[in-house]
Amino acid sequence: MERERKLTVAILAMLILVAVIAIVDISFKIEEKRSREIKLVMPDTGAGVGIVRVEGPIELSAPSGPFGLPSGAESIVKRLDALAKDSSIKAVVIRINSPGGTVAATQEIYEKIMKLRKKNIPVVASMGDVAASGGYYVAAACNHIVANYGTVTGSIGVIAYSPNLRRLFDKFGIQMNVIKSGKYKDILATHRDMTSEERALLQEMIDSSYGKFVKDIAAGRNMSESDIIKIADGRVMSGSTALQNKLIDQTGTFEDAVMKARELASLDEDSPVYEESTSPFNEIFGQLNRFMGNRNMPGSGMLYPVYKLEYRYMQ
Amino acid sequence: MNLEKFRSLSWADFFLYSLIDPRALYRRVKQKDPDAFWISFIVPLFESLSGILLLSLLGRESAFFYYKISYGWILVFLFTFIKILIYTSLVDVAAQFSGLKGNIRELITLMNFSMLPALFVLPAAYPFIVGDFVPLFFYVLFSLACFIWHILIIVQSISEMHTIEFGRAFLIYLMPAVVTGIILLLTGIMLVINTAGYISTFM
Repeated sequence: MERERKLTVAILAMLILVAVIAIVDISFKIEEKRSREIKLVMPDTGAGVGIVRVEGPIELSAPSGPFGLPSGAESIVKRLDALAKDSSIKAVVIRINSPGGTVAATQEIYEKIMKLRKKNIPVVASMGDVAASGGYYVAAACNHIVANYGTVTGSIGVIAYSPNLRRLFDKFGIQMNVIKSGKYKDILATHRDMTSEERALLQEMIDSSYGKFVKDIAAGRNMSESDIIKIADGRVMSGSTALQNKLIDQTGTFEDAVMKARELASLDEDSPVYEESTSPFNEIFGQLNRFMGNRNMPGSGMLYPVYKLEYRYMQ
Repeated sequence: MNLEKFRSLSWADFFLYSLIDPRALYRRVKQKDPDAFWISFIVPLFESLSGILLLSLLGRESAFFYYKISYGWILVFLFTFIKILIYTSLVDVAAQFSGLKGNIRELITLMNFSMLPALFVLPAAYPFIVGDFVPLFFYVLFSLACFIWHILIIVQSISEMHTIEFGRAFLIYLMPAVVTGIILLLTGIMLVINTAGYISTFM
Protein backbone atom coordinates (compact mmCIF):
# COMPACT_ATOMS: atom_id res chain seq x y z
CA MET A 1 0.00 0.00 0.00
CA GLU A 2 2.82 2.31 0.91
CA ARG A 3 4.29 1.77 -2.54
CA GLU A 4 1.03 2.69 -4.31
CA ARG A 5 0.69 5.81 -2.21
CA LYS A 6 4.20 6.90 -3.13
CA LEU A 7 3.44 6.18 -6.76
CA THR A 8 0.28 8.32 -6.55
CA VAL A 9 2.24 11.16 -4.99
CA ALA A 10 4.81 10.80 -7.77
CA ILE A 11 2.04 11.03 -10.38
CA LEU A 12 0.60 14.12 -8.70
CA ALA A 13 4.07 15.66 -8.55
CA MET A 14 4.51 14.90 -12.23
CA LEU A 15 1.24 16.67 -13.01
CA ILE A 16 2.36 19.73 -11.06
CA LEU A 17 5.73 19.63 -12.80
CA VAL A 18 4.05 19.57 -16.22
CA ALA A 19 1.94 22.57 -15.21
CA VAL A 20 5.05 24.47 -14.10
CA ILE A 21 6.84 23.56 -17.35
CA ALA A 22 3.81 24.79 -19.32
CA ILE A 23 3.80 28.11 -17.44
CA VAL A 24 7.53 28.60 -18.04
CA ASP A 25 7.13 27.60 -21.69
CA ILE A 26 4.31 30.09 -22.29
CA SER A 27 6.23 32.84 -20.44
CA PHE A 28 9.32 32.24 -22.58
CA LYS A 29 7.24 32.37 -25.75
CA ILE A 30 5.64 35.64 -24.64
CA GLU A 31 9.03 37.18 -23.83
CA GLU A 32 10.43 35.97 -27.15
CA LYS A 33 7.47 37.50 -28.97
CA ARG A 34 7.87 40.74 -27.03
CA SER A 35 11.56 41.01 -27.84
CA ARG A 36 10.69 40.57 -31.53
CA GLU A 37 7.92 43.16 -31.41
CA ILE A 38 9.57 45.83 -29.28
CA LYS A 39 12.41 47.53 -31.01
CA LEU A 40 14.35 50.19 -29.22
CA VAL A 41 13.96 53.30 -31.33
CA MET A 42 16.03 56.26 -30.35
CA PRO A 43 14.25 59.56 -30.89
CA ASP A 44 15.72 61.75 -33.58
CA THR A 45 17.67 64.65 -32.16
CA GLY A 46 19.80 67.42 -33.52
CA ALA A 47 19.70 69.59 -36.60
CA GLY A 48 17.52 68.19 -39.35
CA VAL A 49 14.85 68.66 -41.98
CA GLY A 50 11.21 69.37 -41.15
CA ILE A 51 8.45 67.96 -43.34
CA VAL A 52 5.21 69.74 -44.13
CA ARG A 53 2.48 68.06 -46.14
CA VAL A 54 0.02 69.90 -48.37
CA GLU A 55 -2.58 67.33 -49.31
CA GLY A 56 -5.81 67.79 -51.24
CA PRO A 57 -7.64 71.01 -52.04
CA ILE A 58 -6.19 74.00 -50.22
CA GLU A 59 -8.80 75.84 -48.23
CA LEU A 60 -8.77 77.92 -45.11
CA SER A 61 -12.17 76.46 -44.20
CA ALA A 62 -13.16 76.98 -40.57
CA PRO A 63 -10.60 78.20 -38.03
CA SER A 64 -10.86 74.76 -36.49
CA GLY A 65 -12.81 71.63 -37.15
CA PRO A 66 -15.68 70.25 -35.06
CA PHE A 67 -13.16 68.54 -32.75
CA GLY A 68 -11.09 71.67 -32.22
CA LEU A 69 -8.26 70.56 -34.47
CA PRO A 70 -6.89 73.05 -36.98
CA SER A 71 -7.65 72.11 -40.55
CA GLY A 72 -6.73 73.17 -44.08
CA ALA A 73 -4.28 75.97 -44.77
CA GLU A 74 -4.42 77.05 -41.15
CA SER A 75 -2.83 73.83 -39.94
CA ILE A 76 -0.12 74.10 -42.62
CA VAL A 77 0.69 77.66 -41.57
CA LYS A 78 0.81 76.58 -37.93
CA ARG A 79 3.15 73.72 -38.81
CA LEU A 80 5.42 76.10 -40.72
CA ASP A 81 5.35 78.48 -37.75
CA ALA A 82 6.32 75.69 -35.39
CA LEU A 83 9.19 74.64 -37.64
CA ALA A 84 10.42 78.24 -37.91
CA LYS A 85 10.57 78.46 -34.11
CA ASP A 86 12.29 75.09 -33.72
CA SER A 87 16.04 75.60 -33.46
CA SER A 88 16.78 72.08 -34.70
CA ILE A 89 15.02 72.68 -38.02
CA LYS A 90 17.61 73.87 -40.52
CA ALA A 91 15.62 73.16 -43.69
CA VAL A 92 12.04 72.39 -44.67
CA VAL A 93 10.62 70.10 -47.33
CA ILE A 94 7.06 70.78 -48.41
CA ARG A 95 5.46 67.71 -49.90
CA ILE A 96 2.70 68.92 -52.23
CA ASN A 97 -0.05 66.70 -53.54
CA SER A 98 -2.76 69.20 -54.33
CA PRO A 99 -4.75 70.51 -57.31
CA GLY A 100 -4.77 73.97 -55.71
CA GLY A 101 -7.46 75.76 -53.82
CA THR A 102 -8.79 79.11 -52.77
CA VAL A 103 -6.80 82.25 -53.46
CA ALA A 104 -6.61 83.46 -49.87
CA ALA A 105 -5.59 80.10 -48.41
CA THR A 106 -2.90 79.60 -51.04
CA GLN A 107 -1.52 83.08 -50.50
CA GLU A 108 -1.34 82.54 -46.74
CA ILE A 109 0.87 79.50 -47.25
CA TYR A 110 2.94 81.28 -49.91
CA GLU A 111 3.62 84.23 -47.62
CA LYS A 112 4.54 81.96 -44.72
CA ILE A 113 7.08 80.10 -46.85
CA MET A 114 8.56 83.39 -48.01
CA LYS A 115 9.01 84.39 -44.37
CA LEU A 116 10.90 81.15 -43.75
CA ARG A 117 13.16 81.93 -46.69
CA LYS A 118 13.83 85.37 -45.24
CA LYS A 119 14.94 83.65 -42.04
CA ASN A 120 17.51 81.80 -44.15
CA ILE A 121 15.73 78.45 -43.74
CA PRO A 122 15.95 76.74 -47.13
CA VAL A 123 12.60 75.40 -48.31
CA VAL A 124 12.37 72.65 -50.92
CA ALA A 125 9.14 71.64 -52.63
CA SER A 126 8.54 68.00 -53.49
CA MET A 127 5.65 67.43 -55.86
CA GLY A 128 3.57 64.26 -55.71
CA ASP A 129 0.82 63.20 -58.13
CA VAL A 130 -0.53 66.70 -58.66
CA ALA A 131 0.87 70.11 -57.77
CA ALA A 132 -1.10 72.28 -60.13
CA SER A 133 -2.42 75.83 -59.95
CA GLY A 134 -2.52 76.73 -56.23
CA GLY A 135 -0.38 73.66 -55.59
CA TYR A 136 2.24 75.13 -57.88
CA TYR A 137 1.72 78.58 -56.30
CA VAL A 138 2.83 77.09 -52.97
CA ALA A 139 5.80 75.37 -54.62
CA ALA A 140 6.85 78.59 -56.32
CA ALA A 141 7.56 80.12 -52.91
CA CYS A 142 10.25 77.52 -52.23
CA ASN A 143 13.97 77.85 -52.94
CA HIS A 144 14.05 74.65 -54.94
CA ILE A 145 11.35 72.57 -56.63
CA VAL A 146 11.62 68.83 -57.20
CA ALA A 147 8.91 67.04 -59.18
CA ASN A 148 8.48 63.52 -60.46
CA TYR A 149 8.52 62.97 -64.21
CA GLY A 150 4.83 62.20 -64.14
CA THR A 151 3.72 64.93 -61.75
CA VAL A 152 0.85 67.00 -63.11
CA THR A 153 1.76 70.62 -62.57
CA GLY A 154 1.29 74.06 -64.12
CA SER A 155 -2.35 75.12 -64.61
CA ILE A 156 -1.34 78.67 -63.73
CA GLY A 157 -4.53 80.66 -63.66
CA VAL A 158 -7.58 81.68 -61.68
CA ILE A 159 -11.09 80.33 -61.95
CA ALA A 160 -14.51 81.10 -60.56
CA TYR A 161 -17.59 79.22 -61.56
CA SER A 162 -21.22 78.65 -60.73
CA PRO A 163 -23.90 76.56 -62.47
CA ASN A 164 -26.59 78.31 -64.46
CA LEU A 165 -29.82 76.56 -63.54
CA ARG A 166 -32.20 79.10 -65.08
CA ARG A 167 -33.61 76.69 -67.64
CA LEU A 168 -34.06 74.01 -65.01
CA PHE A 169 -35.89 76.48 -62.80
CA ASP A 170 -38.07 77.53 -65.74
CA LYS A 171 -38.87 73.91 -66.53
CA PHE A 172 -40.14 73.26 -63.04
CA GLY A 173 -41.71 76.69 -62.66
CA ILE A 174 -39.51 77.67 -59.75
CA GLN A 175 -39.03 81.36 -59.09
CA MET A 176 -36.66 82.86 -56.57
CA ASN A 177 -37.66 85.81 -54.40
CA VAL A 178 -34.56 87.95 -54.12
CA ILE A 179 -34.47 91.06 -51.97
CA LYS A 180 -31.07 92.71 -52.23
CA SER A 181 -29.38 95.91 -51.20
CA GLY A 182 -27.36 96.33 -54.40
CA LYS A 183 -27.36 95.05 -57.95
CA TYR A 184 -24.31 92.87 -57.46
CA LYS A 185 -25.43 91.24 -54.19
CA ASP A 186 -26.48 88.00 -55.92
CA ILE A 187 -23.68 88.08 -58.42
CA LEU A 188 -23.21 84.32 -58.79
CA ALA A 189 -26.90 83.47 -58.51
CA THR A 190 -27.70 80.16 -60.14
CA HIS A 191 -31.34 80.87 -61.02
CA ARG A 192 -30.64 83.48 -63.71
CA ASP A 193 -28.15 84.38 -66.42
CA MET A 194 -25.14 86.43 -65.46
CA THR A 195 -25.26 90.02 -66.71
CA SER A 196 -22.39 91.51 -68.71
CA GLU A 197 -21.69 93.98 -65.89
CA GLU A 198 -21.41 91.15 -63.38
CA ARG A 199 -19.15 89.24 -65.72
CA ALA A 200 -16.92 92.27 -66.13
CA LEU A 201 -16.71 92.75 -62.38
CA LEU A 202 -15.74 89.14 -61.78
CA GLN A 203 -13.30 89.21 -64.67
CA GLU A 204 -11.58 92.14 -63.04
CA MET A 205 -11.21 90.15 -59.83
CA ILE A 206 -9.93 87.15 -61.73
CA ASP A 207 -7.43 89.29 -63.64
CA SER A 208 -6.24 90.89 -60.43
CA SER A 209 -5.71 87.51 -58.74
CA TYR A 210 -4.05 86.19 -61.89
CA GLY A 211 -1.68 89.18 -61.92
CA LYS A 212 -0.76 88.49 -58.32
CA PHE A 213 -0.25 84.80 -59.15
CA VAL A 214 2.14 85.58 -61.99
CA LYS A 215 3.97 88.22 -59.97
CA ASP A 216 4.42 85.88 -57.01
CA ILE A 217 5.66 83.05 -59.21
CA ALA A 218 8.11 85.38 -60.88
CA ALA A 219 9.32 86.54 -57.47
CA GLY A 220 9.57 83.02 -56.10
CA ARG A 221 11.24 81.57 -59.17
CA ASN A 222 13.40 84.59 -59.83
CA MET A 223 12.07 84.85 -63.38
CA SER A 224 10.56 87.67 -65.39
CA GLU A 225 6.77 88.04 -65.47
CA SER A 226 6.83 87.97 -69.27
CA ASP A 227 8.45 84.53 -69.22
CA ILE A 228 5.76 83.27 -66.88
CA ILE A 229 2.87 84.73 -68.85
CA LYS A 230 3.95 82.75 -71.92
CA ILE A 231 2.97 79.54 -70.19
CA ALA A 232 0.45 80.87 -67.67
CA ASP A 233 -2.61 80.16 -69.77
CA GLY A 234 -3.99 77.40 -67.56
CA ARG A 235 -2.13 74.60 -69.35
CA VAL A 236 -1.10 71.58 -67.36
CA MET A 237 2.20 69.86 -67.90
CA SER A 238 4.23 66.93 -66.69
CA GLY A 239 7.25 67.25 -64.46
CA SER A 240 9.66 66.91 -67.37
CA THR A 241 7.88 69.63 -69.42
CA ALA A 242 7.82 71.87 -66.36
CA LEU A 243 11.59 71.44 -66.11
CA GLN A 244 11.99 72.56 -69.72
CA ASN A 245 9.85 75.62 -68.94
CA LYS A 246 11.93 76.28 -65.82
CA LEU A 247 8.88 75.97 -63.57
CA ILE A 248 10.81 73.40 -61.53
CA ASP A 249 14.49 72.90 -60.79
CA GLN A 250 14.89 69.16 -61.07
CA THR A 251 13.01 65.95 -61.50
CA GLY A 252 13.27 63.47 -58.67
CA THR A 253 11.62 61.83 -55.73
CA PHE A 254 10.72 62.91 -52.22
CA GLU A 255 14.04 61.50 -51.01
CA ASP A 256 15.86 63.63 -53.56
CA ALA A 257 14.02 66.65 -52.20
CA VAL A 258 15.10 65.79 -48.65
CA MET A 259 18.70 65.36 -49.81
CA LYS A 260 18.56 68.71 -51.58
CA ALA A 261 17.20 70.36 -48.40
CA ARG A 262 20.12 68.86 -46.44
CA GLU A 263 22.54 70.12 -49.05
CA LEU A 264 21.09 73.64 -49.01
CA ALA A 265 21.24 73.71 -45.20
CA SER A 266 24.73 72.15 -45.15
CA LEU A 267 23.45 69.24 -43.08
CA ASP A 268 24.91 65.74 -42.91
CA GLU A 269 23.49 63.14 -45.27
CA ASP A 270 22.04 61.19 -42.34
CA SER A 271 20.65 64.17 -40.46
CA PRO A 272 17.20 63.48 -39.00
CA VAL A 273 13.94 64.12 -40.78
CA TYR A 274 11.14 65.47 -38.61
CA GLU A 275 7.78 64.29 -39.86
CA GLU A 276 4.51 65.78 -38.69
CA SER A 277 3.50 64.19 -35.40
CA THR A 278 0.79 61.60 -35.84
CA SER A 279 -0.36 60.43 -32.46
CA PRO A 280 -3.20 57.88 -32.52
CA PHE A 281 -5.47 60.50 -30.94
CA ASN A 282 -4.72 63.01 -33.69
CA GLU A 283 -5.10 60.32 -36.34
CA ILE A 284 -8.60 59.38 -35.16
CA PHE A 285 -9.84 62.90 -34.53
CA GLY A 286 -8.07 64.22 -37.62
CA GLN A 287 -10.00 61.74 -39.73
CA LEU A 288 -13.26 62.70 -38.05
CA ASN A 289 -12.35 66.35 -38.43
CA ARG A 290 -11.82 65.98 -42.15
CA PHE A 291 -14.94 63.86 -42.48
CA MET A 292 -17.14 66.33 -40.61
CA GLY A 293 -15.44 69.37 -42.09
CA ASN A 294 -15.94 68.21 -45.66
CA ARG A 295 -19.64 67.56 -45.29
CA ASN A 296 -21.92 69.98 -47.09
CA MET A 297 -25.65 70.09 -46.91
CA PRO A 298 -27.14 68.72 -50.13
CA GLY A 299 -27.67 71.43 -52.67
CA SER A 300 -26.50 74.18 -50.37
CA GLY A 301 -23.89 75.37 -52.81
CA MET A 302 -26.34 75.22 -55.66
CA LEU A 303 -28.97 77.65 -54.47
CA TYR A 304 -26.71 79.83 -52.36
CA PRO A 305 -23.45 80.15 -54.28
CA VAL A 306 -20.20 80.13 -52.36
CA TYR A 307 -18.06 82.94 -53.68
CA LYS A 308 -14.77 81.30 -54.43
CA LEU A 309 -11.92 82.44 -56.57
CA GLU A 310 -9.61 79.54 -56.96
CA TYR A 311 -6.14 78.79 -58.14
CA ARG A 312 -7.23 75.34 -59.06
CA TYR A 313 -6.64 72.65 -61.63
CA MET A 314 -10.08 71.34 -62.61
CA GLN A 315 -9.78 67.56 -62.94
CA MET B 1 -4.97 17.13 8.96
CA ASN B 2 -1.79 17.27 11.03
CA LEU B 3 1.77 16.75 9.82
CA GLU B 4 1.86 13.14 10.93
CA LYS B 5 -1.17 12.32 8.78
CA PHE B 6 0.30 14.22 5.89
CA ARG B 7 3.55 12.25 6.09
CA SER B 8 1.67 8.97 6.27
CA LEU B 9 0.37 9.73 2.75
CA SER B 10 -3.04 8.38 3.66
CA TRP B 11 -4.56 11.32 1.80
CA ALA B 12 -3.02 9.95 -1.41
CA ASP B 13 -5.52 7.07 -1.24
CA PHE B 14 -8.29 9.34 -2.47
CA PHE B 15 -6.38 10.16 -5.66
CA LEU B 16 -5.27 6.58 -6.11
CA TYR B 17 -8.77 5.13 -5.75
CA SER B 18 -10.22 7.83 -8.00
CA LEU B 19 -8.10 6.41 -10.78
CA ILE B 20 -8.15 2.69 -10.12
CA ASP B 21 -11.25 1.89 -8.08
CA PRO B 22 -14.04 4.49 -7.70
CA ARG B 23 -16.08 2.17 -5.50
CA ALA B 24 -13.18 1.91 -3.09
CA LEU B 25 -12.93 5.70 -3.27
CA TYR B 26 -16.39 6.07 -1.79
CA ARG B 27 -15.61 3.57 0.97
CA ARG B 28 -12.39 5.46 1.73
CA VAL B 29 -14.21 8.81 1.76
CA LYS B 30 -16.78 7.37 4.17
CA GLN B 31 -14.04 6.45 6.66
CA LYS B 32 -13.26 10.20 7.09
CA ASP B 33 -9.65 9.44 7.93
CA PRO B 34 -8.65 12.09 7.00
CA ASP B 35 -11.73 14.10 6.01
CA ALA B 36 -11.68 14.14 2.22
CA PHE B 37 -14.08 17.07 1.75
CA TRP B 38 -11.53 19.90 1.76
CA ILE B 39 -8.76 17.81 0.21
CA SER B 40 -11.05 17.09 -2.75
CA PHE B 41 -11.08 20.77 -3.78
CA ILE B 42 -7.44 20.42 -4.80
CA VAL B 43 -8.69 18.63 -7.91
CA PRO B 44 -10.99 21.38 -9.32
CA LEU B 45 -8.32 23.93 -8.34
CA PHE B 46 -5.72 22.23 -10.50
CA GLU B 47 -8.29 21.35 -13.15
CA SER B 48 -8.92 25.11 -13.57
CA LEU B 49 -5.18 25.71 -13.89
CA SER B 50 -4.83 22.88 -16.38
CA GLY B 51 -7.68 24.28 -18.50
CA ILE B 52 -6.15 27.75 -18.58
CA LEU B 53 -2.73 26.38 -19.51
CA LEU B 54 -4.14 24.19 -22.27
CA LEU B 55 -6.13 27.00 -23.85
CA SER B 56 -3.12 29.32 -23.59
CA LEU B 57 -0.87 26.75 -25.22
CA LEU B 58 -3.37 26.16 -28.01
CA GLY B 59 -4.08 29.86 -28.57
CA ARG B 60 -1.89 32.87 -29.18
CA GLU B 61 0.39 33.74 -26.30
CA SER B 62 0.23 37.31 -25.11
CA ALA B 63 1.01 39.21 -21.92
CA PHE B 64 -2.64 38.72 -20.98
CA PHE B 65 -1.57 35.22 -19.94
CA TYR B 66 -0.21 36.62 -16.67
CA TYR B 67 -3.69 37.91 -15.80
CA LYS B 68 -5.22 34.58 -16.79
CA ILE B 69 -2.83 32.61 -14.62
CA SER B 70 -3.40 34.85 -11.57
CA TYR B 71 -6.84 36.47 -11.40
CA GLY B 72 -8.16 34.19 -14.12
CA TRP B 73 -7.26 31.08 -12.15
CA ILE B 74 -9.25 32.32 -9.15
CA LEU B 75 -12.25 33.19 -11.32
CA VAL B 76 -12.19 29.91 -13.23
CA PHE B 77 -11.90 27.99 -9.96
CA LEU B 78 -14.87 29.87 -8.51
CA PHE B 79 -16.85 29.15 -11.67
CA THR B 80 -15.90 25.45 -11.49
CA PHE B 81 -16.80 25.36 -7.80
CA ILE B 82 -20.24 26.86 -8.46
CA LYS B 83 -20.75 24.52 -11.40
CA ILE B 84 -19.92 21.50 -9.22
CA LEU B 85 -22.12 22.77 -6.42
CA ILE B 86 -25.14 23.26 -8.70
CA TYR B 87 -24.76 20.01 -10.61
CA THR B 88 -24.11 17.96 -7.47
CA SER B 89 -27.18 19.48 -5.84
CA LEU B 90 -29.23 18.50 -8.87
CA VAL B 91 -27.83 14.97 -8.80
CA ASP B 92 -28.64 14.75 -5.10
CA VAL B 93 -32.19 15.97 -5.77
CA ALA B 94 -32.49 13.41 -8.57
CA ALA B 95 -31.33 10.68 -6.16
CA GLN B 96 -33.89 11.76 -3.57
CA PHE B 97 -36.60 11.76 -6.25
CA SER B 98 -35.59 8.18 -6.94
CA GLY B 99 -36.28 7.33 -3.30
CA LEU B 100 -32.65 7.38 -2.21
CA LYS B 101 -31.11 9.16 0.75
CA GLY B 102 -29.55 12.59 0.14
CA ASN B 103 -25.84 12.91 0.84
CA ILE B 104 -24.63 16.19 -0.64
CA ARG B 105 -21.35 16.52 1.30
CA GLU B 106 -20.00 13.17 0.19
CA LEU B 107 -21.37 13.66 -3.30
CA ILE B 108 -19.46 16.93 -3.66
CA THR B 109 -16.29 15.17 -2.50
CA LEU B 110 -16.82 12.40 -5.05
CA MET B 111 -17.64 14.87 -7.81
CA ASN B 112 -14.41 16.74 -7.08
CA PHE B 113 -12.28 13.58 -7.16
CA SER B 114 -14.02 12.38 -10.30
CA MET B 115 -12.52 15.36 -12.12
CA LEU B 116 -9.02 13.98 -11.58
CA PRO B 117 -8.71 12.50 -15.13
CA ALA B 118 -9.04 16.05 -16.52
CA LEU B 119 -5.59 16.77 -15.06
CA PHE B 120 -4.09 14.21 -17.45
CA VAL B 121 -5.20 16.12 -20.56
CA LEU B 122 -2.31 18.56 -20.19
CA PRO B 123 0.55 16.01 -20.03
CA ALA B 124 -1.15 13.90 -22.70
CA ALA B 125 -1.73 16.72 -25.18
CA TYR B 126 1.46 18.67 -24.41
CA PRO B 127 3.78 16.63 -26.70
CA PHE B 128 1.37 17.19 -29.61
CA ILE B 129 1.24 20.92 -28.88
CA VAL B 130 5.04 21.16 -28.68
CA GLY B 131 5.40 19.06 -31.82
CA ASP B 132 2.60 21.03 -33.49
CA PHE B 133 1.03 17.77 -34.59
CA VAL B 134 -2.74 18.43 -34.90
CA PRO B 135 -2.80 19.66 -31.28
CA LEU B 136 -6.46 20.68 -31.33
CA PHE B 137 -7.55 17.21 -32.44
CA PHE B 138 -5.62 15.51 -29.67
CA TYR B 139 -6.79 18.05 -27.12
CA VAL B 140 -10.42 17.29 -28.02
CA LEU B 141 -9.71 13.56 -28.15
CA PHE B 142 -8.08 13.45 -24.71
CA SER B 143 -10.70 15.76 -23.25
CA LEU B 144 -13.46 13.45 -24.45
CA ALA B 145 -11.65 10.40 -23.12
CA CYS B 146 -11.13 12.04 -19.75
CA PHE B 147 -14.75 13.20 -19.66
CA ILE B 148 -15.91 9.60 -20.17
CA TRP B 149 -13.47 8.50 -17.47
CA HIS B 150 -14.91 11.18 -15.17
CA ILE B 151 -18.44 9.88 -15.79
CA LEU B 152 -17.32 6.32 -15.04
CA ILE B 153 -15.77 7.42 -11.74
CA ILE B 154 -18.74 9.44 -10.52
CA VAL B 155 -21.35 6.91 -11.65
CA GLN B 156 -19.53 4.02 -9.93
CA SER B 157 -19.15 6.15 -6.82
CA ILE B 158 -22.87 6.96 -6.81
CA SER B 159 -23.61 3.30 -7.39
CA GLU B 160 -21.48 2.38 -4.36
CA MET B 161 -22.88 5.23 -2.26
CA HIS B 162 -26.52 4.22 -2.69
CA THR B 163 -25.83 0.51 -3.22
CA ILE B 164 -27.62 0.56 -6.57
CA GLU B 165 -26.73 -0.91 -9.94
CA PHE B 166 -24.58 0.99 -12.43
CA GLY B 167 -27.45 1.74 -14.87
CA ARG B 168 -29.63 3.40 -12.24
CA ALA B 169 -26.70 5.40 -10.94
CA PHE B 170 -26.00 6.51 -14.49
CA LEU B 171 -29.62 7.71 -14.89
CA ILE B 172 -29.42 9.64 -11.63
CA TYR B 173 -26.25 11.29 -12.80
CA LEU B 174 -27.66 12.01 -16.26
CA MET B 175 -31.11 13.23 -15.20
CA PRO B 176 -30.06 16.77 -14.16
CA ALA B 177 -28.21 17.18 -17.45
CA VAL B 178 -31.28 16.08 -19.45
CA VAL B 179 -33.66 18.24 -17.42
CA THR B 180 -31.33 21.24 -17.62
CA GLY B 181 -30.92 20.67 -21.34
CA ILE B 182 -34.68 20.56 -21.92
CA ILE B 183 -35.22 23.68 -19.81
CA LEU B 184 -32.49 25.54 -21.69
CA LEU B 185 -33.90 24.42 -25.04
CA LEU B 186 -37.41 25.60 -24.15
CA THR B 187 -36.05 28.85 -22.74
CA GLY B 188 -34.11 29.39 -25.95
CA ILE B 189 -37.18 28.74 -28.11
CA MET B 190 -39.28 31.10 -25.99
CA LEU B 191 -36.55 33.73 -26.14
CA VAL B 192 -36.42 33.52 -29.94
CA ILE B 193 -40.22 33.71 -30.21
CA ASN B 194 -40.39 36.69 -27.84
CA THR B 195 -37.53 38.50 -29.57
CA ALA B 196 -39.08 37.94 -33.00
CA GLY B 197 -42.44 39.17 -31.69
CA TYR B 198 -40.83 42.22 -30.10
CA ILE B 199 -38.95 43.10 -33.28
CA SER B 200 -42.04 42.56 -35.46
CA THR B 201 -43.93 45.25 -33.50
CA PHE B 202 -41.52 47.83 -34.95
CA MET B 203 -42.07 46.69 -38.55
